[in-house]
Amino acid sequence: MAAASVTQGAAARRRQLLLLAPGVIWMLLFLVLPLAMMVYVSFWTQTTFAIKPDLTTKSWEAFFSSTTYVEALLRTLRIWLTVLVITLLIGYPTALFIGQFVRDKTVQTVLLVTCVIPFWTSFLIRVLAWRPMLGKEGAINIVLMKLGIIDAPIEALLFSELSVIIGMVQIYVVFMVGPIAFMLARIDPSLIEAARDLGASAWTIFRRILLPLSLPGVVVGAIFVSVMVLGEFATASALSGRKVNLLGNIIVTQVGSLKWAFAAVAGVILTIVTALVVTLLLRVVNLRREL
Amino acid sequence: MMEIGGLSKSYDGRPAIADLDLMVADDEYLTLLGPSGSGKSTLLRLIAGLERPDRGRILLNGEDITHKPAHLRGLGFVQQNYALFPHMTVAQNVGFGLANRLVDPVTDPAELGRRVDAMLDLVGLSGLGGRMVSQISGGQKQRVSLARTLVTEPRICLLDEPLGALDANLRERMTVELRRIRETLGVTFLHVTGNEAEALAMGDRMIVLDGGRAVQVAPPDEVFGRPATARVARFVNAYNLLEGETRDGAFVSGADRLPLPAGVHARAYAVRHDAVEIGDQAPEGWPAIEGRFVTAEFLGSRVLYFFQRRDGGIIEVERHLSQSDPLRFAQGEARVLHWDPAAAHLFGEDGRRVDAAQGGRA
Repeated sequence: MAAASVTQGAAARRRQLLLLAPGVIWMLLFLVLPLAMMVYVSFWTQTTFAIKPDLTTKSWEAFFSSTTYVEALLRTLRIWLTVLVITLLIGYPTALFIGQFVRDKTVQTVLLVTCVIPFWTSFLIRVLAWRPMLGKEGAINIVLMKLGIIDAPIEALLFSELSVIIGMVQIYVVFMVGPIAFMLARIDPSLIEAARDLGASAWTIFRRILLPLSLPGVVVGAIFVSVMVLGEFATASALSGRKVNLLGNIIVTQVGSLKWAFAAVAGVILTIVTALVVTLLLRVVNLRREL
Repeated sequence: MMEIGGLSKSYDGRPAIADLDLMVADDEYLTLLGPSGSGKSTLLRLIAGLERPDRGRILLNGEDITHKPAHLRGLGFVQQNYALFPHMTVAQNVGFGLANRLVDPVTDPAELGRRVDAMLDLVGLSGLGGRMVSQISGGQKQRVSLARTLVTEPRICLLDEPLGALDANLRERMTVELRRIRETLGVTFLHVTGNEAEALAMGDRMIVLDGGRAVQVAPPDEVFGRPATARVARFVNAYNLLEGETRDGAFVSGADRLPLPAGVHARAYAVRHDAVEIGDQAPEGWPAIEGRFVTAEFLGSRVLYFFQRRDGGIIEVERHLSQSDPLRFAQGEARVLHWDPAAAHLFGEDGRRVDAAQGGRA
């Protein structure tokens, strides 16, 4: 009897391992191994025309002694934080409307799908479409001048950090709306009725019930937006006229000129930053408990 | 005291509450019995201010609260699914109303803690204040929900099927608890239920709601003993209800003829399960129906016998074992079911009770 249960336990364990194997192998081959490789290559010796697997810290020293690259790192952080805050400020009210004020499930779905419609065109077109909007003779400047609000076109609208931020916010705000709206829609309406019945005002209900219960959605949305913005390079190069360089742009340029070791350094730094940001965000809410 | 007058509410043209009048006294336990779809939840939501009535008004101690927002009414509403805030502890849930209400909030943490603890004691949850609501059982959630409402000292506490989600054992304990808690606080409970036994057992007074109207408002023994309409007799689940018509001074239902008192015109005839006797022959002048034995249900202190009438309907007979020994019948055995004419309850064309000279056992 005991022996039978032992072999049964062993069989169950073997089955578990078998089921785990594909996932583990996949992660090892396509995540852990490349990451390790990236760290390894970042210590290789890079000459103008060749790269040799002789270990050195030259590339790392070059990265941190160059103001261009350190500035790119700081700019990446600054733009990430700005975009994150703006997507939250625009995304939360939108999600609140969809998740709480629209009680019809069908209308909720329709509105969420509407948010996704811009994704039916390609990424490049969405980004490039901002040029005729923001340009010196673009739509916004023309309208503002016709209305007599400004005399000369605002040049800072395009090919600046501002245009990069506008473009990124437009693309990524939906990733903030989705998870928050999902969490808000899941809140049982009877909780809000109970709070009302207990004498709480609308503001108190928002602060004490809706906001804490939707926080996991905010964190998930923030992780989506952060991971995508930190690795961005296309929006920056298309809307800044190559003036605004992010870590992603550096990787693209360095890989383009076959500077593998240097690209690997930027890659490792970007990975560390992203991991730190995600860890920090997960600290805010215990997602495993809340979802 | 709360007075409700001419209250009406329709959904998509279908009336849920139709011209309802009701008087709720201070310090009483009022149960509201209604089948599903009778509008009982709608009535509670109208009183609580979670829905707006189409017509009519609600007066609370003389003040018109018909259009007052829910959070200013000072009424308590214990929801059927408890509606506990999942991100808070038991104590935070109970203290929510006191700490966050717009009118007269309790800001002193010591005072808040003292009142929450006292209420947790009263509902029997001492020491559980620090638990998260996901860590307590269904019965405990019920008590937290009740405590959360009662701690705000509502003038009337509305309970929407408070025992519905509890298992039988727990339900019995809670019925006693609810009455004790209510008596301790002296607050009026308006307890909505679809369970006739619960409504009869708990209420000082009882309201039977049917089709959006209060068809009977009376103490439970009166509702049980003298149902106002044929449908009330059906809801209390203790009557054999026969449909038929009056012909030549007798009630004709299917193949059976039952004598009626002179001058009474009835469309429905009800007799209590425990008023029916089983025999070979009915005494002279007693109503009788022939039935074939189908099955018996042993209920501990009582036995329910099921007989089939000639036209297929079922007659239930209840015999209490403290007064008689259990009877044994063969399957399909024919017996004569009869009862004292005074035990008959008669209902007219509109379903309302028709009182003859003998009037039943009132």
